[in-house]
Amino acid sequence: MVEGVVELIKGNFSDVEIVIPEHQEKRVHISVEKEKVKEIAKFLKDNGFRHLSFITCVDWIDEGKFELVYGLYSYEEKIVVLIKTKIDRDNPKQETLLPLWDQAQTYEREIHEMFGVYFDGNPGLTPFILEDWEGIPPMRKDFDSRKYSQITYDSEAK
Amino acid sequence: MLESFRGGKVARWFKGRSMWLLHFCTGCGAIELPPSMTSRYDLERFGIIPMASPRQADVLLITGYLSVKTLKRVITTYEQMLDPKYVIGFGSCTINGGMYWDSYATINKLDYYLPVDVYISGCMPAPDAIFAAFLELREKIEKGEANGYKLYKIHYERYKANQDKVFKNRGIIEGED
Repeated sequence: MVEGVVELIKGNFSDVEIVIPEHQEKRVHISVEKEKVKEIAKFLKDNGFRHLSFITCVDWIDEGKFELVYGLYSYEEKIVVLIKTKIDRDNPKQETLLPLWDQAQTYEREIHEMFGVYFDGNPGLTPFILEDWEGIPPMRKDFDSRKYSQITYDSEAK
Repeated sequence: MLESFRGGKVARWFKGRSMWLLHFCTGCGAIELPPSMTSRYDLERFGIIPMASPRQADVLLITGYLSVKTLKRVITTYEQMLDPKYVIGFGSCTINGGMYWDSYATINKLDYYLPVDVYISGCMPAPDAIFAAFLELREKIEKGEANGYKLYKIHYERYKANQDKVFKNRGIIEGED
């Protein structure tokens, strides 16, 4: 079944890198340019991958990149497709998937709050879980949680 | 007559035997409360029952880690409770942060922000430990040593300063329903 999905993607998109991870037969990882994410997501949605499982973000600080990972699931084939794309860490911007899936809002809001990634075209990137947070987004690798905790919570106010 | 009764030994004996617990659960410690309250261990043997409203409760049990966001609500709740009121810090998270000691979101030492009468150590403390803590609290109440709520009034400035250090915007609670 996975081969069918790989064929389908390869037949319609030329420059995508497709990996089937070892020991995980029901998964397909595709790495694409950030401009192509929406196009491929739309294509997969029309071909059975109707469910957006999650969007998540990885901070590759040494490369200077954020990696966005979109998980799509097909109820018929029972296959997970992960669309991976790397975006610039200094100017993290990506096109929103709101027009395709409404539930993208939750994930995009969270990634915006925790990593500082802007999603172009998403009107609702308001504060989400954190309350009165000042300073850099806490899930970035250059945020020192231990130091912040020691300064803020380990000493009494003077 | 009434004044001397309120602070007297008999009153304290009664107080120690009707500790009403505020049903406010934070963190993972809340999972130990259902077995303590239900028939196997049965907290009600000691006159301890869960209360829904802070106005009717005597004991605030902080069951586990507190994020800054929750701490704000806990302090509002604590200030709504009537005297005499007692705080029990449950689990290592309230003592030194526990396994969340280096998290950006959770406080480490509860007694910077609220006066704590009894601590329960461990992660997780079993229902037996909850009983041990309640019996210790009862003993302290009978001896007149559980004075956390008085200390909160005396050292109010200090507690407030510590709270303000972690709350950037206190007023946000009032905007909610």
